[in-house]
Parts: sequence; structure tokens; C-alpha cells
Amino acid sequence: MGALKVMFNQKNFLVIVSAFSLAVTVMFTSCSKKNTLDPTNTFYTSSIAKIKGLDPAFADDLYSGIETTRIYEGLLEYEYLKRPYALRPALAEAMPVISKDGKTYTFKIKKGVLFQDDKAFKTTNGKGRELVAEDFAYSFKRLADPKLNSPMWWLLDGKIEGLNEWRESAQKAGKADYSAKVSGLKVADAATLEIKLKARSYQFIYSLAMPAMTAVAREVVEEYGPEFLNHPVGTGAFKLAEYNPSSQIVYVRNPTHRPDFYPTEGEASDQSAGLTGDAGKQVPFVDKIVMTVHVESQPLWLNFMQGKLDAAGIPKDNFAQAITTTKELTPELKNRGIQLIKEASLDVTHTSFNMTDSVVGKNKFLRQAISMAINFPEEIELFYNGRAISAQGPIPPGLAGYDEKTKNAYKEGNIEKAKALLSKAGFPDGKGLPTLDYLALSDSTARQMTEYLQKSLAAIGIQLKVQTFSWPEFQQSLKNKKGQMWSYAWSADYPDAENFLQLFYSKNAAPGPNDSNYSNPEFDRLYEKSLTQNDSAERTALYKKMSEMVMEDTPWVFGVHRVTYCLSHPWLKNYKPHEFNHGMSKYYKIDTSLRK
Amino acid sequence: MGTFLVRRILGSIPIIFGVALVVFILFNIVGGDPALMMVGKHATAQQIADIRREYGLDQPLYVQFFHYLKDIITFDFGRSYATRQKISDMILNGIGPSLSLTLPAFFITTVISVILGLLVSYFRGGIIDRVAVILCVIGMSIPSLGYILFGQYYLAYELRMFPISGYDYSFPGRFEYLVLPMILWLLLSVGYDVRFYRTAMLEETTQDYVRTARAKGLSEPRVFFKHVLKNSMVPIVTNVVLEIPLLILGSFLFETFFGIPGLGSITIDALHNSDLPVIKSMAFVMSLLLIFGNIITDIVYALVDPRVKLK
Repeated sequence: MGALKVMFNQKNFLVIVSAFSLAVTVMFTSCSKKNTLDPTNTFYTSSIAKIKGLDPAFADDLYSGIETTRIYEGLLEYEYLKRPYALRPALAEAMPVISKDGKTYTFKIKKGVLFQDDKAFKTTNGKGRELVAEDFAYSFKRLADPKLNSPMWWLLDGKIEGLNEWRESAQKAGKADYSAKVSGLKVADAATLEIKLKARSYQFIYSLAMPAMTAVAREVVEEYGPEFLNHPVGTGAFKLAEYNPSSQIVYVRNPTHRPDFYPTEGEASDQSAGLTGDAGKQVPFVDKIVMTVHVESQPLWLNFMQGKLDAAGIPKDNFAQAITTTKELTPELKNRGIQLIKEASLDVTHTSFNMTDSVVGKNKFLRQAISMAINFPEEIELFYNGRAISAQGPIPPGLAGYDEKTKNAYKEGNIEKAKALLSKAGFPDGKGLPTLDYLALSDSTARQMTEYLQKSLAAIGIQLKVQTFSWPEFQQSLKNKKGQMWSYAWSADYPDAENFLQLFYSKNAAPGPNDSNYSNPEFDRLYEKSLTQNDSAERTALYKKMSEMVMEDTPWVFGVHRVTYCLSHPWLKNYKPHEFNHGMSKYYKIDTSLRK
Repeated sequence: MGTFLVRRILGSIPIIFGVALVVFILFNIVGGDPALMMVGKHATAQQIADIRREYGLDQPLYVQFFHYLKDIITFDFGRSYATRQKISDMILNGIGPSLSLTLPAFFITTVISVILGLLVSYFRGGIIDRVAVILCVIGMSIPSLGYILFGQYYLAYELRMFPISGYDYSFPGRFEYLVLPMILWLLLSVGYDVRFYRTAMLEETTQDYVRTARAKGLSEPRVFFKHVLKNSMVPIVTNVVLEIPLLILGSFLFETFFGIPGLGSITIDALHNSDLPVIKSMAFVMSLLLIFGNIITDIVYALVDPRVKLK
């Protein structure tokens, strides 16, 4: 009670509070042992989304794809340095032998490739067994298993001979019979896999380099059952060490990884960028990968700036801290040896019109007027910090069919021309045009972009009624063909313009990926024709023709192709951003002497 | 006491049923279709139908609701639609990190707030009281995000006093990462709590028994700590005990910014993903926690106030 008596004096109380605050400050200032950089050969990276598990059959988003392919490998993989993007063998001995009719792909599997050790391999006492062709047949069947409901089934749906029938019998039986043969997945011997397609497809080969098509071992899947997604066992360069998919995943080097080498071919600029010094050397270079989830941009940015992350993108709110008005690194970052790498993304943002709607879907001039009213250079500065290219059509730069000389006649941001088109549509100054229903997401960026669109269209007399939704409700509206307009984006699944043009194919209308429900028999005819053609000048011409058709019909207001700005610390070597970042971390190298 | 507990537990059954019904109705009106979230961007009508059949989403609503009730009664939470993780594991794995942050932060905040509340009510009308009230109002006016952004930037990044973010499962290693969020929690909550406790205590200082105690010649600390504090316990207990069970649910903003793998975002993520199994499990857990919190509050009332009898 004596101490309390002292406190109950006003002067003493103030002195005690001040002394306590000072002591707390001194105590915390001295406790900063974690604020030193790790001197070990570890690559520190991050994800801006939580990871949904490490089962390849469910790796349908960018982030799960990156994480699963640190552990799992497929028949093919992307070349790391080459652009345009190209494929090369991974677990296949060589690129496949393709039959003359283009339907049969024969792969020889690399010999001596081992799965990572796991207790599921009972016959080898927990030692990883050798990969065989049957593992791929099993892994592909998993995507077709109706009980599994893989979101990646679209890769194989209707493509492989006998696989849909296998799925149907599994549905009828209530359980998949993995020992039942599928005529299109023939295992001639332990090292030979023959994939027979129902029809020739020049895009199919890309699916063989996607995370969902990597090899899993049946024993492991059966050992862990529904928990398989938390027990990944692959053939890749890294294996799992610590696992919390919502916060941090740690991988360590897989000691039984196959002979795997740094590429010897790349772009002309790779040499000057210091990316070719390790050509032909065995990978991986790092001993450990620590991947931390940073959903919020501030901790991601501050951790990068403190050297706790080796590479990072630049959050929108921190752009001015990193990049000058001339789009170069600020002197502060340059002096720290930080590198800036700009890489055009294979994507397109767009505002879709619901083509089944009786107002916007039936009036081409109205859609063109809306497209004409938007000032894209201003939008790019406002919402992308200048990190985007105005999209003229659906095909992004870097793919056959993109032509930088092509200009969309309805993307000038010209109010007078927009008004003229609106008059042509039968709504001079917007008179007689009902308020249009615009569906938007409820996050802050979407709200700001919606306000900008509202303002742009109000300038020509078009009013928008905005309905904001959560992501599930937004999806539901689109899949049920509700609403008149909404904004969306598409990122490439594989480096072929077909992946963008299929978004206008009438058979892909909602609930499929053709969210605008565009339907044009001539476009469909050209699209189907393009599917039968190899990468050639003729196919590129078809792509351009289809692109021009949708530019004229304007089922979308074509938005932008985003440009990614990546930053890396000087100790991170061999770092080159890749649109299909599947298993690429095996090429990264840490110069520990520089990480101080 | 036994009769009281049985009566309260039985009384909670209709509450849990009501919560389940409201969650189910709301989910089916505004929740979005889980099948569309699961099918991915290359959806086909056939795949959507397959998923609906597989998860029983094609069944009549009353059948779905019956399954819902069965699942919560049997504590069979199942797996998340979005992450396919076992929901009981998601909850159990998240409780530790959430409580590691919220429980000490809440305890420290409460102790400091009660002491400050007592002191400022003692100094009522003086400079300390006025400064404290102004600081409390300022503290309450700053949004939680402001504290987090400021604290993370200046204290962790600029001054390097704390790690920017992260979590260590080892004990007590985790506290190195939790000190900054705890300090920010304290700053965020102390303003509201001190004002609340000050008001509760000031009401007591005007009571006759305080005048009597002073007239008896008791010292001020004794008057405040022995009499005022004891008689202010009912509102304090109401505020404290009701909040304790909810601490298990963590804090969305703190956990998201500081990379703490707790339960803070589990419900919000589930709402974003139309993840009905997680939504219903968390609604059930929250109902249980609230009911539990209310029962404990009533019991503590009886302990601190002899006038309260549990029947």
C-alpha cells in the first residue's frame, strides 16, 4: 500500500509514468537480434496469396502453381531464359515423337529419376522409388476422377481417347478404378508413355508443362488420402521441410534430385545481365527456400527493403519510393545495388459487355462509344503507375498474332467521337439510353476504377448503376449471365494466343470462360480452323483476323496488358522473372558474401 | 449452481439452432454458389453439375439444412471447400498463435486500463484526468490500421526495434514477433477501456459508502483499491469476461499485417470463397464461445457480488 500511496501523488505519478515509458523504449530498442540478415544459402521469397495446399490436381492458381512445382515435375517444362517462351523436356528424355496425324504423342521417360523419400514407399523401406511411365498415366487419371473434382480437369476434358469414358464409369460406380485401362494413356513399358488424343491439338503440348500435369506417386496419394495435399512427394529439386500454407512454407534441397542443369541458351541480353555464367551447371544452387505469405503490401515491401526478402514486386502505394518519373530506379535503391527488371505480362484486362443483353449486346455503336470515351493513358497512370500497355485487342505482346502496329479504332479516348458513335447508336447525348447495370467487386481498387469509368461515361451522357459484390457473388452473376457490364482480367495459361481467343468462342459462353457470351459464327469457324493448324504464318494470320473481328464488334472494351516491375537484391543471382514460374527457383543463386 | 448450469446449457440449444438457421438462410440468399468457386475459370455446365451432386448442393434446401445440423451436432466440421483442409485442424492450428497474441495483449491492456481508470478517477477534474481523457479520445479516434501501419513502419522498419512480421512456433521464441502487435493492441484498446472503467469507477466514488470510508479516516489508496475497485467489478467483469472467449478467434488485421498464422482471417477468407463448411463451423464455434462467455460472466457476477444468486 506504501507504493500506492506514492503513486497517488500527482507529481510522483507523472514521474513514474515517464520512467516506465523510457524503460520500455530502451528495452525494445535493445532487442533486435532478428534484424540481421541470414548468412546461409537460403532464398527468401513471398506469395501475396495463401497457398491452397500442395496437390498438383488443385494447383489452379498462380501461387499454388509456383509452390507445387518446387516439389513436383512434369514431362515438360519451360525454358528459363528463352523468349518467346518455349518448352523443353523435364522428366521426359526428349520432346515427344508426334504421329503424322498429330494425335499420338510418344514420350520416353528419363531413367533413374527418384521420388523423394517417404514412408509411403513401403517396398523400398521409405526410400523414394524410381519414376515410371505409369505414374503419369495415374496422375492424369486423377484429374479425371469425379470424386476429386479437380478444377484442372479442363486440361484433359474431351481431349484424351477413352478418358471421358473412364470418368463416366467412375461416376456411375461411385468410385474410380485406377487399374482400368484408358486407351489414350498407353504404358508400353516402364519408360514409354503414349498419349492418344481424340483430335489433333497444337495447344495440348503446353498442358504437359502445367503444374496439374506433374507426376505424383500412387502409393503416396493412397497413404495420405485426403491429407495428400499436405504431404507432397515429388521428384523436384526441393522437398518440403516446414509447412503452414497460410503463413510460411520452407523447402530444402532434395538430395536425390536427378541430374538437372542450368540452361545454356537464352536471349541475347542474358549475357550482359549476368544470367549465363552458370550455364551447364547442376541445379539447384540454393540449399533452402523460405516462402512467406504477405497478403498485405506494407509488410512485403518493408521486408524486401530490409533485405528479408530477396526479390519482390512493387506495391502500388510504394511505387514512388522505388521508381522515378522516368520509370527508372530511384538513386537510393540503385546505390544499394537493387536491380529492376521489367517484364510484360501475358494478360489482358477488359470491361465486358453482356452480349445476351437486349441493350448493350445488340448495339455495336453503343459499345464502341463506351470504348471510345475512356482515356486509357490517364487510366494507366492513375491505376497502374504507368506499368501497363494499352491493349488494342485481346492478344498480348509476346504472342504470335500480336501486332504493335495494329490500332483499335475505338480506343482513342476522344469524347467528340464517342458522342458521335452514341448518336449513331440511337442515343444522342445519352438520351433514351437506360442506366446501365455495372457489376463491380467491392475492394477499394475496384471501387476507384469503377468511379473513374462512371466519370468517363458520364462525360458522354451514359449513366452507370453500380452493384458491388463479393467475389463469389460476382462470379455467380457472371456465370448466370446477369448484369450488362463488368471488368475482368485474363492471364495466359500457356503462351499461345488461342488461350485468349477462346474467350470469344461461342461454345465457351458462360458458365465457361467466354464471360461476354460473344457469339459470331464466322469467328467460331476461324477459331476451329486455327485449332487444326501448327504454329505458322497462316495460323498467325487467322489469329490477327479473329482479333480484328472482336476489335470491331467490341464485346469487350480492351483494357491493358500489365507490365511487371520486379526488384531483386544484388546477392540474388540468375534471377529472371518468368510468366510460367514453374520450378524456376532451382536456377536462382545466392551470393552469401553480399547478403550483409 | 448445478440447476443454473443445466438450465443455461439447455437454453443455449435454441440459440445455436437459430444461429444455424440464420447463417444457412443468409448463405443461400447472398453467399454465392460454392460450386462456381470450386470449378475454376474454365467452367462447364457439366462440371458445375458434377460438383453440386458431389457436395450435395443439388439437394432440396431442407435436406441441406438437415445435413448442416447433423454436422454441427456431431462436431463433424468436414473439410473446407476452398482449401480442402480439415476444418478442425484449421481451427486447432490457429488457436495457439491467436491466443499467443490476444491473451497476453488483452490481459496487459486490462490490468493497465483498470489501474489507469482508477488513477484518473482519483484525479478527477485535475490535469492528469483531463490529459488522460484527451489522450483516450485521440487514441480511440485513430483507426486500428493507422496504428498498425505506423508501428510497423517506424518501430519495426525505421527504428528496427522489432521484426517487421513473422511468427515462430517455438516457445517463447514467438514473443519476439508478438511484442509489437501487443503494444499496438494496448495502444488501440487502452483509450476505450480507460474511459469505460473511469466512468464505472466515478459512479462509485459518489456513493455513500465511499463518504463513510473517508469519514472513518481510511487512506485514499485504501478507499479506491479496497472499496471503489471492488464495487466497480460488475461492469469490469462484464467487459472482460465476455471478451475472453472471443480472443480465441484472433484479430484479422493484426494477424494479416504481422504474418501471425491465427484464426483471425479464417471466417473472412471463408466468406470470400463461399466456403460454407468453414462459415457454418465458425458460426457454431462463435455461438458456443458467446454462450460460454455469458455463463462464465454470470458465475463471476455471483462471485464478485454477494447480492447476485444463481438459481
